[in-house]
Amino acid sequence: MMTEYPVRRDPKKVVAVVAIIAVLIVATYGVIAFWKPKFVVYTYSSFMNWGDEGAEVVLDRAFAPFEAEYGIDIDFVILQGDANFIVSRLNAEAANPVADVVIGIDNILILQEAARNVLEPYESQNLALINSSLVDALDPEHYLTPFDFGLVTLIYSMNTINTTTHPQLDYLTLADLATTELASALVTEDPHLSSPGLSFLLSQIAIYEKILGENWTDWWEAVEGNIDVEEGWSEAWSAWSTDSTKHLMVSYGTDPAYSANYLGTEPDTAIAPFYYQNQHWAWMQVEGAGLVKNGPNPDLGKAFIDYCLNSTVQTEIAMNQWMFPVRTDLALPSVFDYAIHPDDVSILNTLLNTTEIVTNLQSWLDEYDTVMTP
Amino acid sequence: MIKQEHWNYVVLAFPIVLLFLFLVYPVVIVIISGLMSGTGSSFIETWSAYNTQFTATFTLIQASVSTLLALLVGIPGGLLLARLRFRGKALIRALIIVPFVLPPIVVVVGFLQMFGSFGIIDSFLMLITQSPTSIVNFAEGFVGIILAHTFYNAPLVMLLVSASMERLNPEIEESAEILGADSVSRFRRITLPHILPALSASAILTFLFCFMSFPIVLSLGNGVYRTLEVQMWNAFRWSDYGEASSLALVQILITITLAITYIKLGRVSENDSGPTSSIRTTRFTRYKLQEKIAILIYLILILVLIGGPIVSIIRAAFFDPIRQVYTLEGFSYLFTAGSTGGLGPLINSLFYGGLATLLSLIIGIPLAYAHRSRTRGIPLLSSTMVLLPLGISSITLAYGLMTVIAVPTGLNINPWPLIVIAQTIIGLPFTARSIEIGLRNIDPNILDQADSLGASRLQRLFFVELPLLVPSILVGAVFAFAMAIGEMSATLFIALPQNYTLAVAIYDNLGVRRFVQAGASALFLVILCVAAFLSMEKISEGSTGGTL
Repeated sequence: MMTEYPVRRDPKKVVAVVAIIAVLIVATYGVIAFWKPKFVVYTYSSFMNWGDEGAEVVLDRAFAPFEAEYGIDIDFVILQGDANFIVSRLNAEAANPVADVVIGIDNILILQEAARNVLEPYESQNLALINSSLVDALDPEHYLTPFDFGLVTLIYSMNTINTTTHPQLDYLTLADLATTELASALVTEDPHLSSPGLSFLLSQIAIYEKILGENWTDWWEAVEGNIDVEEGWSEAWSAWSTDSTKHLMVSYGTDPAYSANYLGTEPDTAIAPFYYQNQHWAWMQVEGAGLVKNGPNPDLGKAFIDYCLNSTVQTEIAMNQWMFPVRTDLALPSVFDYAIHPDDVSILNTLLNTTEIVTNLQSWLDEYDTVMTP
Repeated sequence: MIKQEHWNYVVLAFPIVLLFLFLVYPVVIVIISGLMSGTGSSFIETWSAYNTQFTATFTLIQASVSTLLALLVGIPGGLLLARLRFRGKALIRALIIVPFVLPPIVVVVGFLQMFGSFGIIDSFLMLITQSPTSIVNFAEGFVGIILAHTFYNAPLVMLLVSASMERLNPEIEESAEILGADSVSRFRRITLPHILPALSASAILTFLFCFMSFPIVLSLGNGVYRTLEVQMWNAFRWSDYGEASSLALVQILITITLAITYIKLGRVSENDSGPTSSIRTTRFTRYKLQEKIAILIYLILILVLIGGPIVSIIRAAFFDPIRQVYTLEGFSYLFTAGSTGGLGPLINSLFYGGLATLLSLIIGIPLAYAHRSRTRGIPLLSSTMVLLPLGISSITLAYGLMTVIAVPTGLNINPWPLIVIAQTIIGLPFTARSIEIGLRNIDPNILDQADSLGASRLQRLFFVELPLLVPSILVGAVFAFAMAIGEMSATLFIALPQNYTLAVAIYDNLGVRRFVQAGASALFLVILCVAAFLSMEKISEGSTGGTL
């Protein structure tokens, strides 16, 4: 009789075995999950990633001596998106930070309380190696140490438009850009989510309020609906380079150098800085490295920031980050002859003092939102 | 016996404690601390800003229009599905649920390919007019968002309506016919009142989903059109916790109200449900000519709107609209390891999805039992806990998990367990509900027999109840898996690049216009979902519809 039924195991044993296996698995995961790397650097997604070799190789080469000296592994945690998101993440983690250093916060973002709240001022002993004007341009209070800098300006693809078809490109004004033709051909970035996007907004405000003495929101009213505001620089770049109706983009003054290096010939990308009062203007962006407040390894963090100013690191910036290294004593690659240099233009930042930016930034952004909302 | 009772409570308390810890507590803390901390905009500043009011208005309007359209498209389909007798009905019914479980970001890929510029419709028009440039683009802005939401939710309406229609007693209709009622008044007096609870339930669910929509609006809204959820995501990224919490508070108040209404409606329809599949059915050939034409036109519309995007994902996987060429790059991307390849995200999707499925069964089964408990208060508590994730935005949940769980434990440097937890919680309503339906259908006599034959509590559970529950557990598992691999909002928030899932990778690739890479990943997810649902449908013999 009994053989007609399959033999059943005692369910208690089954439950016990399953429970033991589950505990073992969870414990293993727990060990893996709680493994902490020794030294953590937060940075943004394209950091040192624009060269032929890719970020992994470059960072390894640049920082191997530092790792060897201190016997640690540096974990570059690449956060999706722009520096704003890194600041937001640092704020979220403020109670128990895991990062020691953050790279990529720029001279506008550092004016925000949110950024200063999560950083610890540190005056690097290597500051003597760089021009003090860069320190002043970024942050005289030393929440950040300059890492690289560049000019935010308009670029265009010479395959689609040029100074013959559009002579105004040589002496470009915001009024030229507000025409339906050029506004529909312009790609920029969301000032909330992207640092070149915010630099462009402040450039525009500086020109309207300080040079023209007009209400800056008028320009955005005029271009609203035509201008293409992408989320970040990468999105804007792909829109500009793949969409044949987009000719102009808010980007960096080093892009012609990148183009020349990429093509191996003359560049097919050109720059159109704004032209007012018989001179060309561009916005200067300085990016810095900062010590995370209450980070796990403050001394290592300080040493790391000092190390960032060494030529080992600084020489990698030009060809991999396509920005200017803050060590201006280092020789630049020859393609950088195609880039505009800070000495070639007047700097728009000088028109807006920092207190003005600190006081007004949030309301400017709110006004921008209001104008750009249909 | 007392000891046994205690164990019952422990088992029932386990999922409820977990949900409190990982859902209620983080969300409450985040909202309160955001409102109190004083960083960023205050509640009044947030809500008096024009762009917030625009976002709120847009969120409500698009949700209402989407709901209306989903009902318009879905009701005829539901009626037909119940009425019409045809071969392969079970298969069609199984396929209809597919759009609903597709990851939203996959739907975006399908929509861009079908309705977007250089998509199938656009290419067709360009061919006719010999135009070298794109002519139409329905896959962006308001129209795109509405169409995508309709695609998503019309199948939901169809399934709920047809499930309700099938319980319509044929005798009532026959009596009405004998008494001389024409088809219009039969519909108005008999069919409509019968399906009304199902209609309102599907309307509320649709509204709820559209109201909280994130990936679709983020991708198709061009940064101009935002739901509250999208604006919240932006506020978090700009470290404006005050604004984010102010938005989250209002959003939660609205969604919880909707969710409660949905539960109440569910109670009503549960009580008077008749036996299934009792409705009178008809063959297509029996219809009049005009009716046949109307049905055919409707079917073509459905094929274009709902079938089109799914099929065009196949084209999206091979066709690069920028270079206008067919390529296999998308698939080589899927199997490329390293930081630029899709293999990592693919493995993550399967790994997190698998774990989330297991976890949601572990939580879902006791919750389903709690729902049937005879102790006062427990069923209400468990059904509230189960439905809570429907009303809580994934972004708020993700932020809560980050600050309240990850930061104190240091998990934020490798946050994958949080992704699994978030994915589990988001799919839980569907998992728990399908198991609960299975539990409801177990004949109590069988359990009594097991008891009287001397089976212990554990023996009864393992050898009688669980085997009977296997089909509905499978349904629940497939739902959990589909929700987990499709989840994008919370994952996007929590993940570091090494934690990216395919859904997040698709969004990333779309952003930088790597369309074939996005297309191939989307196709992979579609095949995964369809395969899971078809195999499950085979095993469970068509009990998926009741889950919704």
